[in-house]
Amino acid sequence: MFGILRSSMLLELRQLATSRFMLMCVIVQPFFVAITTMFMLRHRPDFDPVYVVVGAALSGIWSIVLFEGNWIIGGERGAGTLEYLVGAPSSFMLVIGSRLVGTIVFSLLSMVLSWVIGAWLFGYAITISEPGGFLMSTALALVALWATGMVLAPLGIMWRTVSTFLTVLEYPVYALSGFLFPILLMPGWTRSVSVVLPPYWAALALHGTSSGESLSLSLSVVWGLLLLSTAAAVAVSWPLFRLVQRRARAQGTLALT
Amino acid sequence: MSAIELENVRRIFRTSTGIFRRRRKEVVALDRLSLAVGEGELFGILGPNGAGKTTTIKVLTTLLIPTEGSARVLGLDVVRDTQRLRRNIGFVFGGERGLYYRVSGRDNLHYFAELYGLHPDRIGPRSEELLGMVGLKDRADEKVEGYSRGMKQRLHLARALLHDPSVLFLDEPTSGLDPIGARELRDTIRQLHERGKTIVLTTHYMFEADSLCDRVAVINQGKLIALGTPSDLKGSVSDLSVVELEVFGVSAEALTRLRALESVDSVVVEQREFRQLLRVQTPHGERIVARLIETLGGVEVGRVGVREATLEDAYVRLIGRLE
Repeated sequence: MFGILRSSMLLELRQLATSRFMLMCVIVQPFFVAITTMFMLRHRPDFDPVYVVVGAALSGIWSIVLFEGNWIIGGERGAGTLEYLVGAPSSFMLVIGSRLVGTIVFSLLSMVLSWVIGAWLFGYAITISEPGGFLMSTALALVALWATGMVLAPLGIMWRTVSTFLTVLEYPVYALSGFLFPILLMPGWTRSVSVVLPPYWAALALHGTSSGESLSLSLSVVWGLLLLSTAAAVAVSWPLFRLVQRRARAQGTLALT
Repeated sequence: MSAIELENVRRIFRTSTGIFRRRRKEVVALDRLSLAVGEGELFGILGPNGAGKTTTIKVLTTLLIPTEGSARVLGLDVVRDTQRLRRNIGFVFGGERGLYYRVSGRDNLHYFAELYGLHPDRIGPRSEELLGMVGLKDRADEKVEGYSRGMKQRLHLARALLHDPSVLFLDEPTSGLDPIGARELRDTIRQLHERGKTIVLTTHYMFEADSLCDRVAVINQGKLIALGTPSDLKGSVSDLSVVELEVFGVSAEALTRLRALESVDSVVVEQREFRQLLRVQTPHGERIVARLIETLGGVEVGRVGVREATLEDAYVRLIGRLE
């Protein structure tokens, strides 16, 4: 199992490192988000560069999770490798899950880049108010986003309409999860949507521990909710993966030809 | 003992077209197909495009669930015992796709070796051994995107052999390869057969089936239409000779006249740049050549030859046309 995790992760990192679109998601986009937000907000008295750095990083992480999660199985199908993956004795869910671990590791580039922009380009002192809590929040946030990718992967391949719908979720989720500004600025009814999104809890935990802003819930509750969202996503993805394989074998859709 | 058994397997593909008025269509790819392949046998499946060859391979490799009937490989059911079965089979589909292009050939092998559960200590040596066997050792560290079609096909074969499966499925493995590459691949298949592997091979090349296979099945529209050794099938046309006529600008009417002759079994036309090659199957051999030329009317005739019937001629007789 460890061998599959390691090799799938490395393969994913190599594939992503040569994909222009994914490099744009993880480097170019956070770069523009960080720069434009800093230019827009830097003269405000309540401007917090750490908030922008974390928000820009989250935008990169979310974009790559959304797109790679949605397209990973379809991409294998397009490359003709899906039949060889499904036809191997290893668990298909383990293989795709390991690949998405690689996606998450790759997405950390956007965190490093956002920090570099804030600290070097703009010369802000990027100080994390609770380093220990921030590290723990980062780990739990990444696991929760990985689990979200595990739900997106089977959904994206099973229904073309769902896949199309998922691709337009990039910016609404930025706004609804409070990556770059508090969701209190959004209409009240959107809160009920935000609370079911793992990126919302990820943003809450990361902003809370990096900027030191007071959270409406205790940090341990937010962590608990991140863990709960991870467990729920894995529980949902397991039957979805089984369904994908069963349907593909029954309908003959593992290959494009 | 049979390594592979198909019993009354039907496979129906259901598709639909249109947005507002959806029209559903059913395509019967396999129509109650029954076959048995013995252990250590090199078994060929022949048939025109859409005959059901690839569908048969996909059912046997657990990638497709039969709509009806049952299929077993090494006694394992292809629907229920998938995980155990996948450990014991290897498969290669024709074409260039199915590899990770942005990584090297060696990395492709290492990755699939992990997926097939090879012990970490075995992955390196086994990959080296197979890279050597398929002649890719010198190019193993290059990205697959720079490989020729033949190199990709050979890498596919190496991938399929990583876990040393006892049964190997090869779907048109030499399709699109240059003559030397195809010959090398056939030699490798022959060596694998000599080592006792059960191999199922689909091909469009009759000489390939003739030279490699112990037995062949001819399928058309999902049904088995002939089964036997290549010699058995050739025996079915032993009464025939083939007259090959090179002609220039033969008309449809002339072909109709030719086909209407009682002594003509079948006529196949092969287009070759500005000329056509007519292959006329007939029991009368050279005795009918003058009559054939006369029936063609004023059509310009070039080279004429008469030869014994081959497996391809047997196939043409069975299928009724040449693709």
